Amino acid sequence: MPTVVLMDVSLSMTRPVSLEGTEEYQRKNLAAHGLTMLFEHMATNYKLEFTALVAFSSLWELVVPFTRDYNTLQEALSSLEDYDKTCLESALQGVSNIVQQEWGGAFPCQLQNTDVLDKLEQLINLNNGEGQIYTVDGSLCLKNVQSMFGKLIDQGYSPFHAVLKCGNLTSDVQVFPRPEPVLIAEETEPVLRTINTDLEIVGFIEIADISSPPVLSRHLVLPIAVNKECDEVGTGIPEDTEDENSANQIAGKSPNFCVLLHGSLKVEGMVALVQLGPDWYGMLYSQADSKKKSNLMMSLFEPGPETLPWLGKISQLGPISDAKENPYGEDDSKSPFPLQPKNKRSYAQNVTVWIKPSGLQTDVQKILRNARKLPEKTQTFYKELNRLRKAALAFGFWELLSGVADLLERECTLLPDTAHPDAAFQLSHAAQQLKLASTGDSQYAAFTHNITPMPTDFSGSSSSERM
Amino acid sequence: MSALAAVGPPNPREDPECCSILHGLVAAVESLCKITEYQHEARTTLMDNAEHVTNKGRIICITNAKSDTHVRMLEDCVQETIQEHNKLAAGSDRLMQIQQCELVLIHTYPLGDDTLVSDRPRKEISPVLTSEVHSVRAGRHLAGKLNILVQQHFDLASTTITNIPMKEEQHANTSANYDVELLHHKDAHLEFIRSGELHPPGSASRDSSLKETVTLKWCTPRTNSVELHFCTGAFRISPVDVNSRPSSCLTNFLLNGRSVLLEQPRKSGSKVISHMLSSHGGEIFLHVLSSTRSTLEDPPSISEGCGGRVTDYRITDFGEFMRENRLTPFPGPKQIEAAARAPLERAKDQLERHTRYWPMIISQTTIFNMQAVVPLASLIVKESLTEEDVLTCQKTIYNLVDMERKNDPLPISTVGTRGKGPKSTERHQRVLDCIVACRSKPPEEEERKKRGRKREEKEDKSEKNGKDVEPDKTWQESERLKGVLECEKEELAEAEIIKDSPDSPEPLNKKPRLAIEETPPVEKAKGRTLMKMERLADNEDNEDN
Repeated sequence: MPTVVLMDVSLSMTRPVSLEGTEEYQRKNLAAHGLTMLFEHMATNYKLEFTALVAFSSLWELVVPFTRDYNTLQEALSSLEDYDKTCLESALQGVSNIVQQEWGGAFPCQLQNTDVLDKLEQLINLNNGEGQIYTVDGSLCLKNVQSMFGKLIDQGYSPFHAVLKCGNLTSDVQVFPRPEPVLIAEETEPVLRTINTDLEIVGFIEIADISSPPVLSRHLVLPIAVNKECDEVGTGIPEDTEDENSANQIAGKSPNFCVLLHGSLKVEGMVALVQLGPDWYGMLYSQADSKKKSNLMMSLFEPGPETLPWLGKISQLGPISDAKENPYGEDDSKSPFPLQPKNKRSYAQNVTVWIKPSGLQTDVQKILRNARKLPEKTQTFYKELNRLRKAALAFGFWELLSGVADLLERECTLLPDTAHPDAAFQLSHAAQQLKLASTGDSQYAAFTHNITPMPTDFSGSSSSERM
Repeated sequence: MSALAAVGPPNPREDPECCSILHGLVAAVESLCKITEYQHEARTTLMDNAEHVTNKGRIICITNAKSDTHVRMLEDCVQETIQEHNKLAAGSDRLMQIQQCELVLIHTYPLGDDTLVSDRPRKEISPVLTSEVHSVRAGRHLAGKLNILVQQHFDLASTTITNIPMKEEQHANTSANYDVELLHHKDAHLEFIRSGELHPPGSASRDSSLKETVTLKWCTPRTNSVELHFCTGAFRISPVDVNSRPSSCLTNFLLNGRSVLLEQPRKSGSKVISHMLSSHGGEIFLHVLSSTRSTLEDPPSISEGCGGRVTDYRITDFGEFMRENRLTPFPGPKQIEAAARAPLERAKDQLERHTRYWPMIISQTTIFNMQAVVPLASLIVKESLTEEDVLTCQKTIYNLVDMERKNDPLPISTVGTRGKGPKSTERHQRVLDCIVACRSKPPEEEERKKRGRKREEKEDKSEKNGKDVEPDKTWQESERLKGVLECEKEELAEAEIIKDSPDSPEPLNKKPRLAIEETPPVEKAKGRTLMKMERLADNEDNEDN
């Protein structure tokens, strides 16, 4: 998530701060000092974050547009001039415009405002409680400003280190951007959940089966070389110093599981299902950017045991070797996914909807069309007839039943001489059944009762009707 | 439907005094008090916090009222009934008090008549009851009103897909464009609301009697290829006009497995794909696609990172490994099997077994590059072997020993096989014994002594830990052997032919291919082969590890 540094350059910031030492600092010096700390940290440990610098007083100005170049930001910071009075509102409006323009749409951003106001608290409340205010503990002095920025850095900008595992194959990784804690609304109290630092792959799924699932956020997974001698961690990207250069060369040459995983996921068109915590899952995949360069990425699903209906309960997914026969088929032509819902949806069934007259017309015409093609269309004729019958009974539309019965009798009289004799029998039988149903008599108007074709035998006498 | 059929149409001969909607309203309040299974479970789980489980409900009553006074009478009746039943519920385990009830009265009257009841927006009758009145003509007007209400009650919104090309039966050569309206959860429009293009439902500019719908343009699918989209939400849809020809045409198209991208119509600027319609198992979802610029653009290149300079990753082999470790759903556990390990745990176990010995690069392994080892490597995977399996494994081992004796060059190819480590069973042990036995044969010993000092070291070690080795200790033994093996490997790594696997990252400077005489590496490979096979047969869980 990008960062906007909103720096107050009004006259109030030039107010001196009383210190024990002989040097006199202005407020803005302190702010600049803290921001320098932040920029240095980001340049070393969080360099993929986009940051912009906006200065404001009564007006606002985008001093440095979104960039990953921290030198530029640093230089701009040191060359800021003083202006006039503070006007936060228009500045925030400006920030909103900038963010919208650059990134489009809604984007959560971090604001670093260097003047403390009560209005900020109100703002956070308006934003549904998302946001934090950092204030200087104690008097305004260099040390306290440093510790405040230190806290900010720890909570918002410290890199997220994790271990990616696939059985016994492991790799130390950095996940960028830092995965945010997720608020789960539970029955009792909302719970804040963060992902594990152990990211365990549980199995693999084809891209076609995972089917573009909805995700909370997505992150880059970058392999890192953990230097066991000291605490510093590098991403293996070439730096200026010679020592780091050789260390990175060595890191580049030792096989890394991330690279292997990424290469294979890309070639095979699969994703790796990864467990992030109890009943919380995500997926790893290869993602190419607009310049065709691809990287290993991880997307987090919504926490829960069954958040993707077409996969079902994740804990019920197991290895294909446990199945009686390979569910993917010998030639990968089948798939056990997607899981079907328990109930068929309305658009997947033959529902009878008569809200508009055209609906009813269509259904009646369907019956008549089939009636004219008896006895070939006996099956379809009765199927449509029974569907209409059921709907009419459910809606209490008994008049429809007698009306259609009349229509069928009329069809009977219009049969050409060349028609099969069975047609006449079926039509009059159907008409009679409908007339009986329209009386509401429980024997003939039972919902589950279906009108069945009249059995005819043209060699002998006609058999009796079956109920 | 069958319940409606059982009720049947109203009986015109019945005494009007007996047909009062009051019976229905009372029955509705009664059933709202009845505790549901979900509520019961939740209350039992929460125990002390049981009061967090709520009981709220809504009664939608479609009736014909005589006047506004009549409506007030119905409201009072509901209020009294709630109070009575709440008293009853206080003393019962199977009932819960109604904390909040919304009464929605829909007065419907025949076309051509005038309405005798006036509309009234929601108002509070008491702390537990609110009421609103809608007056609407019967027929399709009633359907329209219910459509609006269902969107309010279930937080739905409407999207109209426009520009859908459909061929008509009569004019098969031409196609016309149709619109289809769908309902879905309103969160599918969250991005539009955030960016200010759509007013949130319930805001001043949204008239409750007018339907607002978002129009999205159908994008004709160009390819059949399946892509992984960055999707932030997926919501089930319901066509408003489910059995109209255009609707069923669209839903059938989707149910047959095709996905469709939807475009946000814009007056100017580039095309923005904002949504996708896709069917999963017979259920159609509207996916929300992220169309904003990514903050992850221009990421660091893989070849510049850790492991980026290595060129011979076993990509194809890992691909096969992944296909063997694909997941499939298993039915839920029945009561008896409740103690059995969950399928996902078994998947993790399998991954652990299969990766106990999995070299990542081609130059680190010979046995996985060898066709001759295929039968052994593929059988030893199994959790348990049959007699026939053991024989096959032994045959493979003897075959290799034979080749070594005859000084045949071992066939090393880049066609990989997989190596997996199973739990040791008695049969696995026999395979291991066979390997150990072969290595200890005197003629072999003589030949190897000629070939190298290092081989002797391994030899000694295997003899010391010979046939008396217990199953528990075989892992430790193979670990020691492994240690020797590692030394050899490192030396060989430089010398062996470096093969590029197809999808390893491109090295910045391509290393020249080194051609080495076949015999020395191959000989060493043989010795290592048997060692590695020992490791394969041997892989057993050891806590010391």
